[in-house]
This record gives sequence, C-alpha cells and structure tokens, in this order.
Amino acid sequence: MTAAVITPSRKGSGFWAAFARNKGAVIGLVFLTLVILMAVFADLLFPTSPWDMTTIPFQPPLSEDALLGSDTLGRDIASGIAHGARVSLLIGLTSTAVAVLIGVLLGAVAGFYGGRVDDAVMRFTELFQTIPNFVLAVVLVAIFTPSLASIVLAIAIVSWPPLARLARGEFMSLRSREFVQAAVTTGQSNLTIIWRQILPNSLSPIIVSASLMVATAILLESSLSFLGLGDPNLMSWGYMVGAARTVIRQAWWMSFFPGIAILLTVLALNLVGEGLNDALNPKLARKGRA
Amino acid sequence: MSNRLRCFRQSLTAAALAAMLAIPGAAMAQERGGTMNIIVQPEPPILVLGINQQGPTQTVAGKIYQGLLTFDFNLKPQPELAESWEVSPDGKVYTFRLVKNAKWHDGKPFTAHDVVFSTSKFLMETHPRARATFSKCEKIEALDDHTVQFTLKEPFGPFLQAFEVSSAPMMPKHIYEGTDFKTAPANATPIGTGPFKFKEWVKGSYIHLVRNDEYWKAGKPYLDDIYFRVIPDAASRSVAVEQGTVQQTQFNDIETFDVPRLKALPNVEMTTKGYEFFAPLSWIEINTRTKPLDDKRFRQAMMHALDRKFIRDKIWFGLGRPATGPVNSVTRFYEGNVRKYDYDPKKAEALLDEMGLKKGADGNRAKVRLLVMPYGETWTRLGEYVKQAMKRVGVDVTLETTDAAGWVNRVSNWDYDLTFNFVYQYGDPALGVSRTYVSDNIRKGVMFSNTMGYANPEVDRLFAQAAQTNKDEERQQLYSAAQKILVEDVPVAWLLEMEFPTFIDKRFKNAVTTAIGVNESYDSVYMVKK
Amino acid sequence: MPRIAAFVSQRLIKAVFVVLAIAVFNFFLVHAAPGDPAQVMAGEAGAADAQFVEQLRQQFGLDRPMIEQLGTYMGKVVQGDLGFSYRQQRPVFDLLMDRLPVTLSLTLTAFVLALIGGVALGTLAAMRAGTWSDTAITVVGLTAYATPIFWIGLMLILLFSVNLGWLPAFGTETIGAGYTGWEAFLDRVKHLVLPVTTLALFYMAVYTRLTRASILEVRDMDFVKTARAKGLPEWRIVSVHVLRNAILPVITVAGFQAGHLIGGSILIETVFALPGIGRLAFEAVLQRDYQVLLGIFLLTSVVVVIFNLLTDLIYSLVDPRIEVAP
Repeated sequence: MTAAVITPSRKGSGFWAAFARNKGAVIGLVFLTLVILMAVFADLLFPTSPWDMTTIPFQPPLSEDALLGSDTLGRDIASGIAHGARVSLLIGLTSTAVAVLIGVLLGAVAGFYGGRVDDAVMRFTELFQTIPNFVLAVVLVAIFTPSLASIVLAIAIVSWPPLARLARGEFMSLRSREFVQAAVTTGQSNLTIIWRQILPNSLSPIIVSASLMVATAILLESSLSFLGLGDPNLMSWGYMVGAARTVIRQAWWMSFFPGIAILLTVLALNLVGEGLNDALNPKLARKGRA
Repeated sequence: MSNRLRCFRQSLTAAALAAMLAIPGAAMAQERGGTMNIIVQPEPPILVLGINQQGPTQTVAGKIYQGLLTFDFNLKPQPELAESWEVSPDGKVYTFRLVKNAKWHDGKPFTAHDVVFSTSKFLMETHPRARATFSKCEKIEALDDHTVQFTLKEPFGPFLQAFEVSSAPMMPKHIYEGTDFKTAPANATPIGTGPFKFKEWVKGSYIHLVRNDEYWKAGKPYLDDIYFRVIPDAASRSVAVEQGTVQQTQFNDIETFDVPRLKALPNVEMTTKGYEFFAPLSWIEINTRTKPLDDKRFRQAMMHALDRKFIRDKIWFGLGRPATGPVNSVTRFYEGNVRKYDYDPKKAEALLDEMGLKKGADGNRAKVRLLVMPYGETWTRLGEYVKQAMKRVGVDVTLETTDAAGWVNRVSNWDYDLTFNFVYQYGDPALGVSRTYVSDNIRKGVMFSNTMGYANPEVDRLFAQAAQTNKDEERQQLYSAAQKILVEDVPVAWLLEMEFPTFIDKRFKNAVTTAIGVNESYDSVYMVKK
Repeated sequence: MPRIAAFVSQRLIKAVFVVLAIAVFNFFLVHAAPGDPAQVMAGEAGAADAQFVEQLRQQFGLDRPMIEQLGTYMGKVVQGDLGFSYRQQRPVFDLLMDRLPVTLSLTLTAFVLALIGGVALGTLAAMRAGTWSDTAITVVGLTAYATPIFWIGLMLILLFSVNLGWLPAFGTETIGAGYTGWEAFLDRVKHLVLPVTTLALFYMAVYTRLTRASILEVRDMDFVKTARAKGLPEWRIVSVHVLRNAILPVITVAGFQAGHLIGGSILIETVFALPGIGRLAFEAVLQRDYQVLLGIFLLTSVVVVIFNLLTDLIYSLVDPRIEVAP
C-alpha cells in the first residue's frame, strides 16, 4: 500500500522541513511519542502489575480507583493500557525488524544477482503471498503454541514478502546505475557493493514501508489475541480486546479503550509513515521518474 | 416448578409401565405443537450416539436414541426402554423387561436382540466407556423378544448406571449387523427409537429433528420440531437468547460472565439442575513427578493459597460450589467429613517454609508452569487468577496456552507441571472418580487417566473393593475411607463442583426432569401457547 | 488472440506448480504441530483408552510413515480428491462446498462493494484534492484502515443489533421462519448487511487511498494535459483518461488481496457466527483436522492463483497498450 514509485533519497536539511509540511504526520509523531513515553514509564505510572486485581470487578470508567474502569476480575484498564503499550510496540517493532531482515535479505539477493537466483527467490516469495497471511499466522502460532516469540515470528513470516519485492526492485534498478557499475569495475566484492553502495541508497522506501508495517503488525497481533492466540503472560492491547469481547455489553469500556488505543497508535504510525514518505521521496524526484 | 416436575415424572413412570394409559388429564394442559430452537455448540461431528458421545452429540442424539434406563435427580434408576428390571441376590445377574411397543424410526420393532447386539457388538467396538462396562459381562442373552439378561463375571456396583442413554444407546441391529459401524452409510441418517426423528442437517448451520408420529409413548411427544442451531461465537449465543431466537442453551453455551445478565431476562428461566449424572468436578492437575510438586505439603499449600469462593463468585459468576474433595456432593457415596482447606495464604506460606522453600531476592520461592486448558475464556481467567494468587505466597507461575490437540498431547504424555481439568463422574465413583486416582490407570498417552502419576496402594485397594460389591453401605464405608486419604494427599487441587446453567424460554415446560437434563428425550416437553 | 491463449496456458502451468508446492509445504507445516486428531477425539470421547486411540490412529492412517502419508495425500490431490475428514465423517470436498457459498457471498459482496466504493471515494477525493471533502475522506479512510475489523464488527453489533434492533447479529438466515422466495432472499440479505459492511470498510479504505494516490499521479501526465488542452469536460477526462490508467495499481492490489479477504473472513465469521470457510479453517486448526486444513489452504491458493490470472487479463483489457507478457 506504499507509494509505488520511489527514488534514492536526498536526505539532509530538507527532511524535517518536508516532514513538518505534512500536518497529519506531525500530529502522528506527537501521539506516537506519547505512547512511547507511556510505555517507558508504565511502571512509574502504574507501579503494580496490570494483572493485579486492585479493585471491584466491572467498575465503570471514572471510578475512584479505576479511571478507565476495571475488568471482569477487578483489574485496572488504565494500567493495562499503559503496560500494554509496551507489548504492542514491542511485538510491532520486533516482528517488523525480523520481517525487514528476511525481506531485504531475500530481495537484495534476488535483485542483485538476477537470473535463476531471482527466479527461485521470487517463486518462493509468491508461494508465501498465495497463502492468505492471516490464516498462515494462525496456523504458525497454533503450531509453535502462543508465546511472544512465536507471535513475533509468525507475524514476521507473513509480512516479509512485500518487503522482498520492494528491495528486489530497488536493487535491480540500482545495480545498473553508474556508481554501482563503477564499484564493480574497481573490483569491490559483491558483499561490499550490496552493503556500502546499494543498501544505503535503497533505505528510504524500506523505512517508509517498515513504519507502515509496524502498524499492520500491531493489528495482526490484536487479531491473533482476539481469537485466543496471544501470549497469556503478557498484557497487550490485542489481548485486552480479545478478553473483553464476550462482555462487551456488560462492560463496553473494557474493549472500547484498548480498541481506541490500537486505533490511535496504528493511525499515528500510518500518519508518520506518510510523513516519512513525503520527506524521503519528494514529489520532484517522483515526477522525474514517472 | 420442581413440584410440578416431580408430579409429572411420576406420571411419566406410570405411562411407561402401561403405555396405553393416557397422561392423567389433571396434570396440566399439554398441547401438541410448537418448535423449539436449541443451541448446539460445538457442532457434533456425527449424530450416531453409539459412535460419538461428545457433549453436543448427546444433547441432539438423546432425542433420537434411547437407553434402557434414565435417572432421577437422586440418581435412582427410572424406566425408559426397559419397563422393569431385577438383580439377583449375588449381584451378578441383571434381567431387563423391555417395553413391547417400541419401534425404530424405519418402522421395525425394537426387541431384546437389538439390546444384545448393541451391548455385545456395536458398543464394544465403538464406545470406550461401554466397552469397559460390558467387558465385565460373562454373557449377554435375549431370553425372549422382550427380555434380556446380563450375567457378570463378578459383582459391579454401578452396573445399572451403564444403561443411561449416552452410556449405552440402543442401536438398530437390522441396520448395522454385518457392516463396518464407523463408516456405515447409514450413519448419515440416524435411526433410533426416540420421540424425534432426524430430518435434515445443514452443516455449520442447523440440525432439524421432527416429531416421531409412531413414538411408543401414546400421545407423545408434544413438540413438532426441534432445531439445533450452531452458533460458534459466545457473544452471539447470548444475543440469540436475548432476542428470543433460541429457546434453550445448556452446558458451556453461555460464558459465565453472561449468566447474571441473562438470568435477569424476563423471557427465560435458568436452572442448574439436570447435570447430576455428569456432576463435573474441576481441579488443578498436579504432575507429582516433578519438584517441588512431589511434596504433598506444596500441594496442600496450593489448596490454602487459592480462594475458591473468589473463583466461584468472580470467575464463575456464582455458578458451582467449592469442592471439598474428589467426589462431587451430588454423586453417590460422597463423604463431607474430610480435612478442610480454608483460604489462608499464611497457612500456605507456613507449609512452604516448612518445606524449606525460602523466598529469593525476587520474592519467589519456586517457579512452576501452568498449562491453561483451551476450553474457553473462563479457564484463561482462572489461569490469570491462579498466577496472581500463587505469586502472593511466593510461587512464580508461568502461563502456557495451547490448542485442544496440544493440550491433550502434553497432559497425556506428562509434559506439564500444572494444568486444569474437569471430568464427569457419571453418578458413581467407580465410573467417574477412581479412574483419576488409581495407580493401574497411570497410562502414558491416555487422556483423563491418572496423568498426575499419583500412586497409593491403600487408595487402589479401597477403590477396587468398592467397585466389586453392590451393597451400598459397604461401598459407602470404603469410599469414605478413600476420600479421607485423598484429601490429605491432594493429588489434584480440587476447585469447584461445577454447575452448568441451562437457560430455557419460559413458554417451554418439562425440559429438565432427570439427572441427564438436556440430554433427555424431550418426549414430555411442551410449549404453552399464548 | 493466440498470444493470449499462449499466455494463459503458460500461466496455468506455472499456477499448477505453485499449487502443488503449497500443498507439500502445508502438509509438512501442519504435521509439525503437536498432537493429532486421534488424541483430540479420544480426549473428547471422555474415557479414552490406549486401544481406542490406536484404533483411531490406524483408521486415519496416522500410524503410517510421514512420507507415505504425504505420498497418499498428494496422489489423491492430483486426482482431485481432497481427503476425508474423520472428525466430521465427511469428504473434505463436500465440507468445503457446504461452507463456500457463505464465504463467497460474504467476501465477494464485500470485495465488490469495497472496490466500487473505494474507487468512487478515491476519485472524488483526488478531484477535490486539498478541499474539506478530500480531508474528510482521507481521515475517515485512515481511521477505518487503522481499526481492528473484529472491533468494528462488535461495535456494529452493539449499535445496530443490540441497541437499535434493526439488523440480526448472527447467522445467515432466520431459522424456522419458513420464508420462501423473495422473503427468504431478503432475510439472507439482512443477515449479511453487518458482516459485509465490516469486512468492506477496511478494504474500501485501502482502495480509496490507492485510487486517490494513483489519480493524483496520472493527472499531471502529458496525455491528460493534452486532453485538457483540447477542452474536454473534466468528468470525461477523469473517467476516460485518468481513471483508466489510475485503476491499474488498484487492480493489482485487489487481485493480490483476494486471499487476504478469506483471512479477514475468519474474524468476521467468528464475530457474526457465519458457517463459512474462515470459521471452518479456525475450527480445523483448533481440532487438528489436517485434511480439512490442507483442503482449505489448497482451495484458497487456487482462488488466489485464479484471481492473479484474472488480474493480468483485466489489466490487458483496461489498457490494451499493455502487453500480456508471460
């Protein structure tokens, strides 16, 4: 869903100016910063474990000891949201990192070497794209039993193919550029060329893609939890909505607030992603290529 | 309501004894007609009760198939396809006289030969619980078309319980004889003797049963149709009750947290009766092979650390009773005079201290894993509670989740520290209790066996002896002794005598009349029209 | 035309290999899981003994070596036999066909609605780029895109079914109502409104964004400028020149997402209690019904492969200048 047309970046002073021109992106960034702060300082804001039964069950929001209400066992929803921010962000970021690693690696190899290697890698990628990714994620988590690691891995495994295609495209077009050809003639090793010459120049679209993928990963995690496939030891937003869905009519706040937390965070990530896109892929460059 | 039911049950007995007799008119205004929509969840894999006895299969197929006996709320046997029976003084010979006018849904008469075929052939091959019972028989024979006799190798206390419909459903000989029972094409169109006939099954959606006009009890059943609706999502199921699109739910259909809300609805009635035959008991299963769980003081500490009232009130929303030991108080031969474990974290800590488990720098004395049973959200909540409660006495519990297959696989292969479990007791300790605790049932790879690895020769002896007699007083003594030992040893940490809520639309009467409740034939259920 | 035939046959051969590779891949994936259907069934039967488990295992062929099981399975797949679900006591193919209508009516309706709505809204937003209506469409679209779909579903049930009582919350029809003909059809439509809306919202947001971006890109191209210079009315320029080109990336993404819709339908079918393929897949995972799961995987990959093929063909129809390159 990222913009299809991308060029080598022209970073520098213009970056922030370009980013700031997108008002939504700035709002997104501010909100995201707040979420990150909340995650970092969750232990100070809510010193007890979010699993602790601190109050009476089913307290509505604005109750004395539960600002956003309490759940079926009397656990504080606000505390859950603060601590849950950690888990949702952690799963979002690590699974994206793993997906980027797999995707860029395979895409780079395919794009750089071309020919049979490219063919083989692309067939492999297609295979993964043909299987509906949510179904695959469900199966993977079920097979490895739900835990932080299995969820991260499952999300990464279903998310890497678009990145591989993106990286492949970048590498293919950059490989024929003069500066790469020059490096080839000066006898630099393939690894050096990939690492020093091509990768830095293809980073910006990958960064944009990755920022959006974090958002998708958070949504995927919440969907898995909704179906009861979350890590039972971790309070994540997805888990909270999943646990609240059956009591939605007794306690709308239990699913409403974590749902809003997911919505706003995912929205913020998307806005930031768009801002990055604007900043890293200026329109001028786009036109030149079209 | 219960008064009326009891009165009606008596009339039912009378009707069974003399089928031509009409229902005493004074009882109540029972009208023909009406359609009942009942939730069935999960969807049964097959409706042939002789082949599959999962809960939902029983509820649906209990209307199609019948057993020789049924049981009242106090687990006393009542006539069904057998109108009377007698037991020889030595407890070895059981003779049943069958009703004479019962017919299969295809019109063929039901006879003693069907009983012999079912118990000595069909169920022996397909039904593990029936196999366990009927393999105790030396011979099973039809004395005439309507008399059947079972001769046991040695007395077996709970033998009559084995004739409840799901324990020994009667299967038609003329249809199955000589076929491969499990793959027989006839399995697609179940044929029984019950008041309702199979009409249509739209997989994933509903099962439609229609009135059996040739039913052997005159004038019955009253309802025209029963639809069993498949609704996979718990939230949707409670909406269905609220909106009145279904008129009955049972067992775990309604998640516990919806119970208080549905209970308050004006159009439905809730009862927890009708599960006495199953009398499930829940517990934390403890793998006694691993440290520190091999020490009974640790297990006793668990009993003190868990607030079972809180579990009942906050997690099961008031359903159930804190369990006192291995036998449910509605099951036969219950013993209440045993060691008591009140909620007292201090006592728990004292026991753990006594064991020499000192708290470390992180406040933990021990670390154990708890494999959460994948049977719905209530068990997940329970896992979360146990984790927090054990943390209070310094035991760090790591929760693990898995799906049904993974759970069965790990527990039956003893790859767990703690897990939850609940089993049905089938009315008698010899059927549903001893299997959990006797050492010759420690069998790797077999679920619902003695997976804790608990072994106590005295317990083994008491259970064995109690099963081999049919003198109730003697059995009570033996079972009481066994219960006292078990409660001291805590091979599992008993939680609740579970209750299931049955929600029934107030217009439908007579649904829950026996110990098997919603799995009953429903031949006397009727609808009050407004 | 012969070129198109050659192209189609070439793609078909490739597709068959993709499908077979997926079948093998899935087989090993699913068998890597702990537990087997015999154990689950034995467990649920209440009093399982070793003999019973062994009996079931033999019956299912689970006691055979893995490679033999794979061979048996693949041999059948090639003949179009997807195996037998012992749990449900029916051929997998029949199970899938039972469930397919529900999922198809859900996903196809949602897909078509999302595509039409998305392209329309995206076009509107692009034509009015920078105005308040563009901003509104973008904000709403982004929000829909960022919301977990099961949560939207629950909120819709809360509003339209529980509070307002306008629409049914679950199932595909009112059972026992005895509707026929037109009434029965209307009843089914009513049951589909909420699930379809829920599923369509997310994808509509995706297509709206894509269409908008794509139109903005094409709008300034030379051939559009030429058309504009000729003085053609704006709607004509948009519909004939711009949209025709701008829709290509939308079609590409939509084609790719055909399979994703089935993933989404797992959640939707769970929330709205619909007896479809998605729900069947989830149940099969929980119950380790390998044969069913493999069948569903195979079915969805075939659907996706077909959709990809169609995408390429539509591509060539929308823009005849594009060659159908193998």
